[in-house]
Amino acid sequence: MPEETNSSVNPSAAPSWPVHEDTTAKWFLISSIAYFFIVGIIAVVIAAKFVWPSLLGTVQYLTYGRLRPLHVNGMLFGWLLAADMGLTYFMVPRLCGVKLWSEKLGVATAALWNVIVLGAVVSLLMGWNQGLEYAELPLALDVLVVVAWIMFGANIFLTIASRKYDQMYVSIWYIMGTILWTAFVYLTGNFAVLFATGVNQANLNWMYVHNAVGLIFTPVGLAIAYYFIPKSSNTPLYSHKLSMIGFWALAFVYVWTGAHHMIHGPISQWLQTIAIAFSLMLLIPVWAVVYNFFATMKGQWYQLKDNIALKFLMSGVVFYLLTCFQGPMHSLRSVNAIVSKTDWIPGHAHMAVLGAFSFFAIAGTYWMIPRVFKTSLFSEGLANWSFWFMMIGGLGFFVTLRLGGFWQGWQWNNVAIPFIDTVVALKPVWIVRFFSGILMFLGIVSFSYNIMATILGAKDRPAVAA
Amino acid sequence: MLRKADSNFGFAVVAALIFFFIGGTLTTVVPPLVDKSWGKAFENNDPAKGPTGKLQPYTELELKGRAVYVREGCWYCHTQQTRTLLSDTKRSGWKGVDSPISTPDEFVYDNPHMFGTKRTGPDLSRVGGKYDTQWHRTHFRNPRDLVPGSIMPPFPWIVENQEEFTALVAYMQTLGRAKNWRPDNDYEK
Amino acid sequence: MQDHVYPSIYFSYFFFALMAGGALYFFVKSLKSGYLGRNSEEPKHRMLEDDEQGGIR
Repeated sequence: MPEETNSSVNPSAAPSWPVHEDTTAKWFLISSIAYFFIVGIIAVVIAAKFVWPSLLGTVQYLTYGRLRPLHVNGMLFGWLLAADMGLTYFMVPRLCGVKLWSEKLGVATAALWNVIVLGAVVSLLMGWNQGLEYAELPLALDVLVVVAWIMFGANIFLTIASRKYDQMYVSIWYIMGTILWTAFVYLTGNFAVLFATGVNQANLNWMYVHNAVGLIFTPVGLAIAYYFIPKSSNTPLYSHKLSMIGFWALAFVYVWTGAHHMIHGPISQWLQTIAIAFSLMLLIPVWAVVYNFFATMKGQWYQLKDNIALKFLMSGVVFYLLTCFQGPMHSLRSVNAIVSKTDWIPGHAHMAVLGAFSFFAIAGTYWMIPRVFKTSLFSEGLANWSFWFMMIGGLGFFVTLRLGGFWQGWQWNNVAIPFIDTVVALKPVWIVRFFSGILMFLGIVSFSYNIMATILGAKDRPAVAA
Repeated sequence: MLRKADSNFGFAVVAALIFFFIGGTLTTVVPPLVDKSWGKAFENNDPAKGPTGKLQPYTELELKGRAVYVREGCWYCHTQQTRTLLSDTKRSGWKGVDSPISTPDEFVYDNPHMFGTKRTGPDLSRVGGKYDTQWHRTHFRNPRDLVPGSIMPPFPWIVENQEEFTALVAYMQTLGRAKNWRPDNDYEK
Repeated sequence: MQDHVYPSIYFSYFFFALMAGGALYFFVKSLKSGYLGRNSEEPKHRMLEDDEQGGIR
């Protein structure tokens, strides 16, 4: 087998490296950051609506029920998935030692993706909502997503198929997994559900909702972390083989757990039990991955002091560990009886999608943008501010919603307390959430401003040599 | 074997899909085949087996109302499931009668399903028959007029649209009434 | 709802055993084929090097 790959240890192989254009990666990243900013405003507005419920309330296009899906879809598909795709277009050609199969196809994908996101904004504000969580978009847009995904997948797969080295780095497996699994998860969640009703439909819907995070954002997020943690710290990964356990365990156990969204609900008890058992098994892939990252950082932690990408990456890893411990725990029936349906749930969801995967994507952006534009970052200081804004805002958000949700759950279980009193009691929690949201938004502003200033001023600041 | 997994493109793709499809099939395709109650509408004539009643398909008016409920995203804050928790059966109860738990056979005509994941407002799985049209009219216009401290948004554009309002209330009055669990306690009586 | 709680628990145990057995089998097989040596760790070093375009770091 491919033992000649040892040649890469030899620096004389350097001249054969291809020149990457990265046009696709640039376009995906720039548009995703624009959506991060715009949808961030919506996020703050809906947090404000919890405190001042009549805010903008008489305008039907801006009511909570229409802004919330816009926030969720905008952040998931407009920001995070687009940023992840952009970073994939950056990582895969480098890991394979070849050029991207087709930059033209890639740019077309980026254009189509923007059409989808803008279509989503219009249709969600108009209330054209399919009524299924994460699958709110009307059918026409779903079809476009499938087309875009095929374009993305074909481009990446053909690049991987033409790779220079036989043995694939971890990030490549995760990206292949993301592309394959997402295809089927998305088809289930947006097309198969339309042929089912009631509990059967709910089961398909939760399979999609859970795996939208578990088999789309998790693997592509981990691919990013697996690439940028070694890269930005200039330290080899602790173990290639350990990462295999994480990958194959993820491939196997994640898909089973959809029904844990309906624990105690009107769905067969045995299916709930299966979902709980597999939710606990999720600890295996999570801990394998997290151990690998921490072991990589052994002796290198001092680098966190002034390496902005690494700061985001390693705090993202800690959030990933925490949120993936919390997930299996609150799938247990006893814990679920307290926290399910409370504000604990948005706390958990935000720690995964914002605290872990968005942190990875932000880190990747901070690392990639100066390199592809051949410049240096506009301001390290501002980048540091963006980190602390997001960190403190995020912690405020996660901690208060967790505690608040737990408290809310206890109150619900005490039937002597009327429901409305449990709503009034949460008001302080929602006020803290609103101010944490403002902090996170400031983080988004400083991040996006920094990146845009880096790109626009690229000609004035030449890259610093290594 | 492991070398194939990280060096052979086709092997990795096929293995990743096989792993995925084992769990995918067993948790989505198989359950409705094993548990027939997922697809059979509720019907019970024997009081010894719990509340009697029969689940009716939605009328055209109720479906219109349901579309409004979906459009306005009511389901983001109101769940529709009385879970197997004592507090849920009490909170969904009415005038001292505990609500029966929700079962899959009560939802076979629901498309899209409205079970929900977040309970910012109270659960609505048994709300049908509890409040009359006038109550709903006032409540949709400004929830805080009837429930001080509520954080539900006002929905004046529904109240002002007589057709939509009638349909929405007609839909809400059906919720949870397939099981006849509190005879003579509805607002109509 | 029909109650399949116990069969599902036994099923989960069975599955877990099956998976653990499979993992062990492939581990031993890979050990024998010499995969678990140092040279299979090669990609993690290689990925640090292909920094093209003037070697910005």
